[in-house]
Amino acid sequence: MAMKPEDVLRAIAAARGEAICIPTMTTAPAWREIAPDDVSVTCVGFMGGASAMGLGLALARPDRRVVVFDGDGSLLMQLGSLATIAGAQPRNLTHLVFKNGVYHTSGSQEIPGGLQVDFVAMAKGAGYRQAYAVRELDDFRKRLPAMLTDPGPLLVELHTGLADKTPMTARGGLPFDRQVETLRTKLVKPR
Amino acid sequence: MPESIPAPLIIDTLKDTFREARQALAAEAQEPSRHQHLGWVLSVPDTHQKSVLAALDKEQALRVVTCATEDEATTAAAGLWMGGEPCVLMIQHAGLYASINTLRGVALDGRVPVFYMIGLLSREKDKAPRESRHSMVRYCEPLLDTFGVPHARLEGPNDVHLIPEYYRLAQKRRGPAAVLVGLETL
Repeated sequence: MAMKPEDVLRAIAAARGEAICIPTMTTAPAWREIAPDDVSVTCVGFMGGASAMGLGLALARPDRRVVVFDGDGSLLMQLGSLATIAGAQPRNLTHLVFKNGVYHTSGSQEIPGGLQVDFVAMAKGAGYRQAYAVRELDDFRKRLPAMLTDPGPLLVELHTGLADKTPMTARGGLPFDRQVETLRTKLVKPR
Repeated sequence: MPESIPAPLIIDTLKDTFREARQALAAEAQEPSRHQHLGWVLSVPDTHQKSVLAALDKEQALRVVTCATEDEATTAAAGLWMGGEPCVLMIQHAGLYASINTLRGVALDGRVPVFYMIGLLSREKDKAPRESRHSMVRYCEPLLDTFGVPHARLEGPNDVHLIPEYYRLAQKRRGPAAVLVGLETL
């Protein structure tokens, strides 16, 4: 049985330490509830941008782990980011792809290729240092510490079901510009 | 008449721009930068600025990240800025058109000071870009105007002062700003 995204996010929240997290699309509402005080910024409104935003943050802050919560449909929108990330080789970037085979937010239309799309093969082909799939929650929990510490770029394809909420059914949270400002303030620490 | 700008002049100007940006950040932040280099160049290779990109290959003080798309470059720039790092995007007009939703969603809505150097590939030397027979040249400035992005044109070596000015303007306005490279760099 596919993992519940909320269970995966709860496990990450418990283990993330000081990691910067970048949820996108259907992980966003749940993450807001699970980790409301987290160092994170949500990518909605420029679908596909989470991976490159994670790259920028990872390059800027090599002392912090950066964890991208990508979607399969989202990643397909900027698939070239796999090569861009691999080219830059950020050792502190963990790229989690929540794979459910559909565009959940817009009504669960199947993504091109559906569940056959192999992001592990793509990440390896692009030049990620590691890439593998996880299908069971117990396995995810077991491997999570390594996902947060192994040298990146590291991609994990997470076989998940649908989240309970989407950005369309659960609007809210800080506007994007305030999220950006808040995260920058936490990272730059103005005097 | 517009003139081409030598690559070393652009690179030296970028270095000065980033030095100033780092000084400003040092005054603002409690912690020192974690990087030795001056700043980042996010590039989607542009024929118009290829001499600059070639010269950057030998540069230690500026770190270049080649991106597959301008969307990625814009979003990565936002990540760098949140982490306190100065950067410039070097792209061409076609890439601006390709990434306009990201400019809107990230730089405008997110109020992120993304600074662009945009090559006007195929711009005719004897025509203002708005009168170009090439749509990719003609639409660039009107598009930036539509989105409220301040911009200026580098029409020769005497205009490189616009690079730090528009970089500062982006920071001050907390949004995108652009300089357009009028002729192919030398």
